[in-house]
Amino acid sequence: MKQFLKGIHWPIFFLSVGIALSSFLFIYSATFRGSESYMAKQLLWLMVALVAFWMVVILGYRKFLNLSYLFYLFSIMLLVLVLLYGHTRHGAQRWIVLGFFALQPSEFCKLATVLVLAQFLSDRTKWMGQKRSFLMGAMLVMIPFVLILKQPDLGSAILFIPMLLGMLFVWGIRLRYLISIFLVGLTSLPFLWFTLKPYQQKRLLVFLNPNADPLGSGYTALQSKIAVGSGGLIGKGWLHGTQTQLDFVPEHHTDFIFCVIGEEFGFFGSLLLVLLFCFLIGYFIQIMERTTDQRARILAAGITSMFLFQMAINIGMTIGVAPITGITLPLVSYGGSSLVTSFLAIGFLVSIHKERSIF
Amino acid sequence: MNFSKRVTAFKWVVYGLSCLLILSLFQTQIIRGGHFRRMGESNRIRLIPEEAPRGKILDRNGLLFATNRPAYHVYITPEDFDPVDLPVLSKLLGMYPDEVRKLVSVPRVRALMPVMIKKDIAKETAMQIEERKPSLSGVFIQVDGVRYYPNRGLNGHVLGYIGKISREEYKQFDHDIFRVDSYLGRGGIERTFDESLRGEDGGRQIQVNARGEQLNVLSEKEPLAGRDLALSLDLNLEKEILPSLKEKRASVLMMDLRTGELLILISHPDFDPNVFVEGDKDGERIRLLKDKSRPLVNRAVLGTYPPGSVFKLVTALAGLETGKITRYTTFQCNGYFRLSPNSRRFKCWEPEGHGEVNLLKGLERSCNVYFYNVGHLVGEKNLDKYARMLGLGEPLPIEIPSSDGLIPSSEWKKNKFSDVWYQGETISFAIGQGYVLVTPLQILRLVSIIAKDGEVPVPTLLKVDPDTQVPLYTTHAHKESFKLIKQGMLQVVESKYGTGQLARLDFMKVAAKTGTAQAPPFPPHAWFASFFPYEDPQYALVVFVEHGGSGGLVAANIAKQVLSSWRALYAVNRVFEKPALPPVHLEGNP
Repeated sequence: MKQFLKGIHWPIFFLSVGIALSSFLFIYSATFRGSESYMAKQLLWLMVALVAFWMVVILGYRKFLNLSYLFYLFSIMLLVLVLLYGHTRHGAQRWIVLGFFALQPSEFCKLATVLVLAQFLSDRTKWMGQKRSFLMGAMLVMIPFVLILKQPDLGSAILFIPMLLGMLFVWGIRLRYLISIFLVGLTSLPFLWFTLKPYQQKRLLVFLNPNADPLGSGYTALQSKIAVGSGGLIGKGWLHGTQTQLDFVPEHHTDFIFCVIGEEFGFFGSLLLVLLFCFLIGYFIQIMERTTDQRARILAAGITSMFLFQMAINIGMTIGVAPITGITLPLVSYGGSSLVTSFLAIGFLVSIHKERSIF
Repeated sequence: MNFSKRVTAFKWVVYGLSCLLILSLFQTQIIRGGHFRRMGESNRIRLIPEEAPRGKILDRNGLLFATNRPAYHVYITPEDFDPVDLPVLSKLLGMYPDEVRKLVSVPRVRALMPVMIKKDIAKETAMQIEERKPSLSGVFIQVDGVRYYPNRGLNGHVLGYIGKISREEYKQFDHDIFRVDSYLGRGGIERTFDESLRGEDGGRQIQVNARGEQLNVLSEKEPLAGRDLALSLDLNLEKEILPSLKEKRASVLMMDLRTGELLILISHPDFDPNVFVEGDKDGERIRLLKDKSRPLVNRAVLGTYPPGSVFKLVTALAGLETGKITRYTTFQCNGYFRLSPNSRRFKCWEPEGHGEVNLLKGLERSCNVYFYNVGHLVGEKNLDKYARMLGLGEPLPIEIPSSDGLIPSSEWKKNKFSDVWYQGETISFAIGQGYVLVTPLQILRLVSIIAKDGEVPVPTLLKVDPDTQVPLYTTHAHKESFKLIKQGMLQVVESKYGTGQLARLDFMKVAAKTGTAQAPPFPPHAWFASFFPYEDPQYALVVFVEHGGSGGLVAANIAKQVLSSWRALYAVNRVFEKPALPPVHLEGNP
């Protein structure tokens, strides 16, 4: 037991469990007026997530990396399955319904892709075949990217891009390649535009011009901004947020959970949460710096970018500095798949920290 | 750049993004916090949706199939209403005063909320109420758009209708497009082309004061009207032929062979789609659902029936293409056919027999024995192959749901009945009896393929721009085979022994094949499948009458009326090659 608990990165563990526990405050506030009981379900999911976390820590990240191609294939299969038989809500087919809960495979696929990319990139050093490594890596990302875009789930799909770039960067891709990738991406944007569904185009348009859809997404964008903004310095107090309580903001227990935080706990609350996330991500980077295993570095880079951009885009969309896309706030939003994935990811980092001194 | 430098850069990205986020939060919550708080406090934002007008559906000449009309609804604000007006108002609306009184005194959620008294009243009544406005206080008329199908009971199947979105559908669909009270297409063209017909709803986001009065418009979007849709159907022609169908359960289809446009697609009895759109028509709806003649079923594309003798066209093609027969092959018809000397007799419809029969004579007189022999020679596998080549038993691409029909095979029978295929079944198969099922639309395409010597047209319900080149693909059969079959079909109408003489015209040559498909215990189905003009085929016409009796009598007679109507509308001055024999009339030819 002592052997096992040795080298656990306790600050990360307590920080993430703390954020996850605080989320119950927000989820309760967002849903206590409804009839469904989200709290019990989320508590159950937190248990599952913690079991998953310890499992990763005990087994060690190397075993998972060795099996990463298997996980990758499995998650791609799930994505195909969801496109064929998935459950549709609000025009998007994202869930596989299994008895009493609904699984969102795109969440798990993010992690599987990070694993497979880390395994793939670390097999090749940065001195050999930069172009080929990049192209193969891009292919590995492209498959889930397109499948998720088809659901359609623009937000989750877009997250793959900073993930890939972050990992390539830490792996050691030449800067001029990174810049040219960026330019190619920029020029291909107009083409990508036409592959989007009309409602996704509309959401992006609303981001640029709030008058594009005053009754639909434009209304959501405005109401969520009012929610966060009306929180002011110290907020309206727990359970006293009028915007979210009266259902002006949709999905306020999942994607728009930050509205509850912003409205009821104000700028102080928001700042505190952002800072907590910054600490968490800071520790992630520290772990990345200290490990000598190339695979682990790249893996840590992927997970760090995933957390960073998911948090930034999610909070950004509630205050109108990022387009509205359906992604969750890690550790905080209601939803089992998201919570379990977040803890699995943190488990990998803790495991990297624990096994860093083997060499 | 080495690893530690890269990590430093990575850190800067994290710092940068976090600072940006915190600064934006500061901007939203502290600097503009007061502004948002005021906006949120009274929650003074209202959404005024404005529905986009749904696109019209037109016929090929621009006549209306579906449009929107204003509907007038009567409302009363009970607080403002004076009961003295009760008798006058109820008389105008054709209601009992007590009925109105009851409605007015129904408890409401909120004061000053108007109550709907009567939905969709006549325009004249609405005008009368408006004229008496000063005396009828608290009474007002509200106008909104209602879908309207001006032709009432014509092409209800093709058009479909629209209905309110259900709770389950609303949960599934994209809320940016569908509102809780949105309408959507519920069948036919209205459903298939819902997306382009519906347009895009608009509306205004307004700020109101505490009394609910508009202060200013925060954001506004004009509704985008739905696109109009031109169908290939010819409303004038369809109206002309409707009287000839009377009480029959029938279906008439006509197609332009060049473009595949369906000029006529009638399934009779039809239904009036307005019944599903207007309020207070529940009784009518139930009547439609319970009606024994099943007016809601589109017989032309979803009804499957045995093709009877029309299928002999397939058998003929199979015989010619497999080389089992030539145009000179003859069989002796004594009125029946036997597989072996002791087996059962398969009868010809002519008990005395047709004597020595070749292919042309066999088609002309629809001799069963001839085709029993051909079917026996080519076997059920080839019948299956050529039926599919001519589009039977296969899905048919068209804009509304259609049935595949059924072409049997030995594997199919094994799966379905766990029994082997008997030779006798091949014999029935050869004359379109037994398990074979087809839709009238499939038969229409079958004669079109023959008429065009193997080119397969794609039937469509949408108007095709006359200048477009419609892509066609061709079957693998020989043109000569089709030419020969066409000659046989000409003789069906033009020869004095032909089974379809009744459809003979004095102005143009028509080629056809009749069918009288047995459907015991009821009378047989009548088929008439044709194309015209014979010399230069431009149109295909199929008439089908469910349990109508003889194809050569009932169906051919209707076909003749359709052709006469077509000529009266479009070809009065056109000169065709004259037929060899004068036309016949029912009285003179028992």
